[in-house]
Amino acid sequence: MSQLNIQTITSVGIDIGTTTTQLVISRLTIENTASGTSVPRMEITAKEVIHRSKIYFTPLLDHELINSVAVANIVKTEYDAASLTPNDIDTGAVIITGETAKKDNAKSILEALAGLAGDFVVATAGANLESIYAGKGSGAAAFSSTRHQVIVNIDVGGGTSNFAVFHEGKAVDTACLNVGGHLIEFEPRSDKITYISKPAQKILTACGLTLSVNDHASMTQLRLITKTMAECVLELLNQNRLTPITQELLMTQSIRSPFSFHKVMISGGVADYVYTEIEPLSVEEVTCFGDLGPLLGWELGKKVVASGYSLEKPTETVRATVIGTGTQSVNLSGSTIHVSEQTLPLRNVIVLAPFATSENIPYQNISLPIIKAVQSLQEDGTNPYIALSIKGPQTMAFADIQALARGILEGMRDYLEEDKPLILILEDDCGKVLGQSIEALALGPIEVICIDQVVVDECDYIDIGKPLMGGRVVPVIMKTLVFNR
Amino acid sequence: MTAEGNGQLETLIIQSVLEELSKNGLFDSKNKQQVVNSAVQVINSAASVPITPLIPEDEETVTLPTDEIMVDNPFNLEAIRAMKKTTPARIGIGRAGARQKTVSWLRFLADHAVAKDAVFVDVSEDFLKRMNLVAVTSAAQDKEQFLTNPELGRRLSEEGVRIIKEKCSKNPQVQICVVDGLSSSAIEANIPDLLPALIQGLNSIGLKIGTPVFIKHGRVWVQDQVAKLVDAEVVISLIGERPGLGTAESLSAYMIYRPNENTVEADRTVISNIHKGGIPPAEAGAHLVDVLEQILKVKVSGVKLNQK
Amino acid sequence: MILKAKVYNNVFAFKNLKEVLAKANEEKSGDVLVGIAAKSASERVAAKLVLSNLTLEDIYNNPVIPYEEDEVTRVIYDDLNLRIFQEIKGWTVGALREYILGHKATGGDLHHLSRGLTSEMIAAVAKLMSSMDLVYAAKKMRYQAHCNTTIGVPGTLAFRNQPNHPTDSIEGMISSLKEGLSYGSGDAVIGINPVEDNVDTVSRLLETTKNFMVKWDIPTQNCVLAHVTTQMKALEKGAPVDLVFQSIAGTQKANEAFGISADLIKEAFELVQKKGTATGPNLMYFETGQGSEVSLDAHYGVDMMTLESRTYGFGRRYYPFMINNVSGFIGPETIYSGQEVIRADLEDLFMGKLHGLPMGIAPCYTNHMKADQNEQELSTLLCAMAGSNYFMGVAGGDDVMLSYQDTSFHDDASTREILGLRPLPEFEKWLEKMGIMEDGHLSERAGDPSIFDK
Repeated sequence: MSQLNIQTITSVGIDIGTTTTQLVISRLTIENTASGTSVPRMEITAKEVIHRSKIYFTPLLDHELINSVAVANIVKTEYDAASLTPNDIDTGAVIITGETAKKDNAKSILEALAGLAGDFVVATAGANLESIYAGKGSGAAAFSSTRHQVIVNIDVGGGTSNFAVFHEGKAVDTACLNVGGHLIEFEPRSDKITYISKPAQKILTACGLTLSVNDHASMTQLRLITKTMAECVLELLNQNRLTPITQELLMTQSIRSPFSFHKVMISGGVADYVYTEIEPLSVEEVTCFGDLGPLLGWELGKKVVASGYSLEKPTETVRATVIGTGTQSVNLSGSTIHVSEQTLPLRNVIVLAPFATSENIPYQNISLPIIKAVQSLQEDGTNPYIALSIKGPQTMAFADIQALARGILEGMRDYLEEDKPLILILEDDCGKVLGQSIEALALGPIEVICIDQVVVDECDYIDIGKPLMGGRVVPVIMKTLVFNR
Repeated sequence: MTAEGNGQLETLIIQSVLEELSKNGLFDSKNKQQVVNSAVQVINSAASVPITPLIPEDEETVTLPTDEIMVDNPFNLEAIRAMKKTTPARIGIGRAGARQKTVSWLRFLADHAVAKDAVFVDVSEDFLKRMNLVAVTSAAQDKEQFLTNPELGRRLSEEGVRIIKEKCSKNPQVQICVVDGLSSSAIEANIPDLLPALIQGLNSIGLKIGTPVFIKHGRVWVQDQVAKLVDAEVVISLIGERPGLGTAESLSAYMIYRPNENTVEADRTVISNIHKGGIPPAEAGAHLVDVLEQILKVKVSGVKLNQK
Repeated sequence: MILKAKVYNNVFAFKNLKEVLAKANEEKSGDVLVGIAAKSASERVAAKLVLSNLTLEDIYNNPVIPYEEDEVTRVIYDDLNLRIFQEIKGWTVGALREYILGHKATGGDLHHLSRGLTSEMIAAVAKLMSSMDLVYAAKKMRYQAHCNTTIGVPGTLAFRNQPNHPTDSIEGMISSLKEGLSYGSGDAVIGINPVEDNVDTVSRLLETTKNFMVKWDIPTQNCVLAHVTTQMKALEKGAPVDLVFQSIAGTQKANEAFGISADLIKEAFELVQKKGTATGPNLMYFETGQGSEVSLDAHYGVDMMTLESRTYGFGRRYYPFMINNVSGFIGPETIYSGQEVIRADLEDLFMGKLHGLPMGIAPCYTNHMKADQNEQELSTLLCAMAGSNYFMGVAGGDDVMLSYQDTSFHDDASTREILGLRPLPEFEKWLEKMGIMEDGHLSERAGDPSIFDK
């Protein structure tokens, strides 16, 4: 029997943000942690960052366009520095964050990079996912589980502030606000404004300031701007009614945490100025990197503490998101699954959840909701790979598994006629028996990918990698994450 | 009251609950009608399934509360909640003086009672009939003999030998034995889901399966005798594990390729912890198919199999 | 040597000392299984009668397993103080019983005497004792030992915090550890039975417990109860080991089945002296149990109780910090009922103490025995009265890794309260500092594992 008990994989994380672009390479150790007489249980047991890139300014052609060639060069340079080639990379993710994600060409650049950066590096985006990666990279997630206290991580970057509330290691809520240190740009170490972004314009208006490019800003004006920004952040944190400016800057839903909290951690580029003792006193000190970052950090730190929160130090500041992306984007399936190996990897699979809850599986008529769900997806003309996600199932009795298998085969009949593999993602540990049952009940040969112990939601996009650990598990990478409320 | 007659009332209840939830922002009212419909459907379909109640419905029943945190005024409730998730141990159970609280004490007693019953009560005749198993006994005549004299459980009674010779097909690739071992409850709880999954999987890869037998008062080694009697290539025993207070329903699978006089314990491949809280029985059945297929392919089991 | 006795109208004759020793036992299933138990109540009394008249010299001259054949016999005989033995060799077993029970004999006297007794003599005298005899005699004897702290201090009762976890989860182990500490359990040792007997797991558990002890400044010792060779490898690699553990038995054959010998234990003891983290001088922890030789088919037709006594004779060579039985864990083929467990626990405690050992007891039972919690608690109280140095501490009494029941954290705290016993002195100070205990009883906030989560 293939008793592969330990394997390491190399994972890359690339974060292209409003201000900076970074890359980390990590080594993930996957181990069979079950005892000799148990069914194997594969887990990621160690995550070690083996290479941290320099922090580059994100190469832009203008304020709207990323210079994809330059980004690719950064990646190549850093691979060289780490003595690795794209072939050495097993998995990973590129995440486009902050302001950059909004820009028109982000998507195509992501795809270009995915090809460059190894065989199974996926492009991800989305404010929710970014917030979670940042909080995992900053140490907030670990803090919540080891200290058993709810904590909010705010990753304040150049363009956005990403909030994630963690409870016992899990993100329970996220939000994203268009507030960051780089929304207004200056000539470094001077008071001369060189760029004002659209959200910054809104903030200026809200402060009653009329500043434009080439104007000279005073320290008083800078304080007013950064105080306003910090107040927007606090409004979200306090879960109060939002002022009009905060509402305008809010890019997602506001925070509605199911748990109360009083611990706050701040990561991202401005975080170093949150935890410093030295207040920036002059315009030159503020604009030393050509933006407002230092002063925003300072104001934010003061406001958070003044509002009664207790501020915890992150383990990573500016690299939080990229480390989270590199080390946290891979999930492993359960260890008894049913896969047709030659079918994998599969990219850009959309998740459909035909049954709302595990109690909702209508055993008398399983196929109908499946047919409806598939049809509704196909109405928009696209024809993607579909993964059926099944919560539970509540019962894992053999008879119910058989019924489920029959219903799925019937419900997916049309889809299967297109010669696509049947992809099933279950929450509970019954992937192998369901896969086996489907194969036994199918009239002809059928390619089945039936994996379990993975939680995905309707409309998530996922990639499923080639099996690891002698075929026992597959890596699953989330590319977007929809937060259900 | 019929399920239909009750339907309206249920719709009302569900609607009002959802309204409350959406007031608090916990529910998106757009999907309300859909959710109400499906909830009512669930309730009705549950009502239409005939369930034999263990006790008449109109009698009130005392039950053990679910496992909860019973520490008075804990310093950090979240921490205890998280701790309880990390271990099945009985923690966060509080105290009355230095003694256990009533509920945790009674739960302990209940768990011990269930564990004892798993050991000391036999697998029911009815169950054996339902599972269509050929039933034999070991040389142990009763539970006490079985427990205090392990040797007796390792071989079949004379009648058992006769029955197996008479009723079981010969030369199978896989011979399945269901053995009560130290937990009859493990057999009754797991076999109905494990056995069909195992048989389905073995059939689908075209293996010849022998006649499944049940051995009362049996231990692991009895499988060697059965394998020899029917001349099986590989024999698998599904046997009840010694119950703990956590579960009395844990089952193990012991597999061995052509056991003989020189067989040692290390020649057996073991998969343990099969129960609904461990590896679920149906899934275990599917997994065991892979293991048996491997054993037949390389023609060894146990430690040697892992080395292949 | 007279091997024949008459009980009223029946005369019983025995072949040899081994048979007398076996038949003088209270009934236990393991002796029945091996076929050496008394066939009737009268035969049992006859054997006791014969035994009471044998001299210590008779027993000395008839080791149950010959010196040449068995390492355990050699350890027992080689370590005997012959001068003391010469003084008492003419005593009958019956006289020895009365000497031990007599008001004149102090704990110190018995300690002195113990150096001149072989394990078979100790087993023999225990066979003439009732339950209360055993408690009464055991209570006189109290032995201290020192690792990082001192165990066996008069007026104290210590506990091994046993935070086992079914998959060796570090987090899960810590959860149970915190629960136990919050009840005042853990002054004897923080001792974990690992599922996986490998260096990585063992080292990980050792490091975690050590770090926890350092972080919270807990005056105790740590131990992971893997095979001795695994712990030695962990020690070599630098793992923080206070106590080295091993299961031991009363015959060479059984010890071989455990994968140990006298030389190996000596080597382990020397290694932990050199590379361990504790002060010492007592650095070993042993577990024993009536019936292990029977389940390993290594009993030579000797009864379980005598073999258990020989186990203590083997163990005392290494000056352990802790040694306790787990007689109730071995299984129904050796000990079947609650009554048998209680008797075995009392015998073991007495026999261990008469070997001069700092004995603890694990009054425990499994679910395939005819035993229950009431009997387990009776045994705990009796052993506490008899002056056991320590017991185990298991969350809710349910060991979720070994699947058996042992003394709970609650039982630990209750036993202290009932008998007015205190934790080991340094540990009690720590409990007071943590607000877990005040004036010798649990404080309001005791029993809350989250006090460690600030």
